[in-house]
Amino acid sequence: MTTVKSTVNSADPALEQFDTTTARWGRLTMIAGLFFALAGPAYLVLFSGLDVDHARIWTALLAIAGTFGVLWIVEPLTYYPILGQASMYQAFMIGNISNKLLPSALIAQAAIGAKAGTRRGELAAVMAISGAAMVHLVSLLVLVGLLGSWLVSVVPADVVAVVQTYILPSVLGAVLVQAIVSQWNLRMTVVAAVVSAAVVFVLVPAVPALAFFGTAIAVIATAVLAWFLRDRSAAAEPAAPRREDSSDDVRID
Amino acid sequence: MKLRTVVDGASTDILSVANLPVLWICALGVFAVIVVQTLIYVRAARVAAPAAGMSSAELRTSFRAGAVSAVGPSLAVALVAVALLTVFGAPAVLVRIGLIGSVSFETGAASIAAGTMGADLGGPTYTQGVFAVAFMAMSLGGAMWMLATLILTPLLKRGDVSLRKVNPAVMTVVPGAALLGAFFALGLGELPKSGNHVVAFLASAAVMAVCLGIAKALRAQWIREWALGIAILTALVVTYATVGAGVFPAA
Repeated sequence: MTTVKSTVNSADPALEQFDTTTARWGRLTMIAGLFFALAGPAYLVLFSGLDVDHARIWTALLAIAGTFGVLWIVEPLTYYPILGQASMYQAFMIGNISNKLLPSALIAQAAIGAKAGTRRGELAAVMAISGAAMVHLVSLLVLVGLLGSWLVSVVPADVVAVVQTYILPSVLGAVLVQAIVSQWNLRMTVVAAVVSAAVVFVLVPAVPALAFFGTAIAVIATAVLAWFLRDRSAAAEPAAPRREDSSDDVRID
Repeated sequence: MKLRTVVDGASTDILSVANLPVLWICALGVFAVIVVQTLIYVRAARVAAPAAGMSSAELRTSFRAGAVSAVGPSLAVALVAVALLTVFGAPAVLVRIGLIGSVSFETGAASIAAGTMGADLGGPTYTQGVFAVAFMAMSLGGAMWMLATLILTPLLKRGDVSLRKVNPAVMTVVPGAALLGAFFALGLGELPKSGNHVVAFLASAAVMAVCLGIAKALRAQWIREWALGIAILTALVVTYATVGAGVFPAA
């Protein structure tokens, strides 16, 4: 695994300038992105005329935090050694890190023969992610924003109804398989399957009040059980971030 | 557009609120921010390049290599995003699934949020009010990754927080277990809804397994990239057939 950290203490003023500029503007643009990402739904909740009970939002957020909260902290920690400071502010705003941005950066580094962890490698990664971002923005705007919206407007109503009703199981079936393959840990998979089945098919039907937090309960119980039942012989291995060319686009970008 | 008249918390006409002009403006705002960030970064890289022993030709090569290698994954993401347009509307899909978030987290978060209100995404209980709460909650959930990045990156840069100080088993076991637990619970939660939900879930899972198997056998990375889109579309086509044939009672 590579690290950018080892070379950042370079004394060259031009490189220090690069660190300062990308840190300052990376943070500012990320805060601006955060603002726009929240402004839309906030408008919908507060000003659109929909009578939304705000307590429901916090309940929903609490349930999401119970499910994904640990990843909020772990993912930035995992990606930092691979991405370096500058690209962190790019990657967590552009998204699709493991399935698009990391491969792009690696291919660019290979193309100019720069090693990851060097300054050349860092600049190559910044340029590659910039190139990937531009392609991604254009393809999203054209294919999803324009073409996709048009497509939805011409597709027959019964097809739209089927898509709306069954999109969730159609996504989750594939995502679950992807998650199992990306983790590739039989013990953990069995624990997760048994715990989740117990929650979904036994606990929630028996105590309907828990339905709100069913997923969070399953996640926390799985994590605790997996911890106590973990394969201790593997625990001595170093905490290397997972393979950057791994197939898991399940990873939350 | 007669947008004012269509806002009604109990209506299931999601797309009329999901496509409000304000939401489009905010979505385009995120696009604009990324463009500005990219311009600033490219300029900064150009200034720093000589000091790093990098020629401007190498900078251009890197940019082009990144752009070219992003074409396949970007198209694959776009395909999945289009399939979700009817559920979240274009502005939410562009920001949440296309950019900041990802398909798995955002649909998972929205499903959890709808569940706390006793509603199902896309079903007859999926009203404009439920959409608004789910959209807000998934956006706040997504914001936490950005907040964590904003807080942790400077600390990591200074070396205050190091992966080495964290128990290595915590870093691998807990996130992996959380991911598996989340998607097992979310996936299994779909099964009791109807026979058609079971069909959609199993078809999607089977196609993904086949795609990943073929990708491994042929060492074809591109199949891996497209697997999610292929699985979703196949599952929807199969389900459309079973719904049309009336194999199961209506959901």
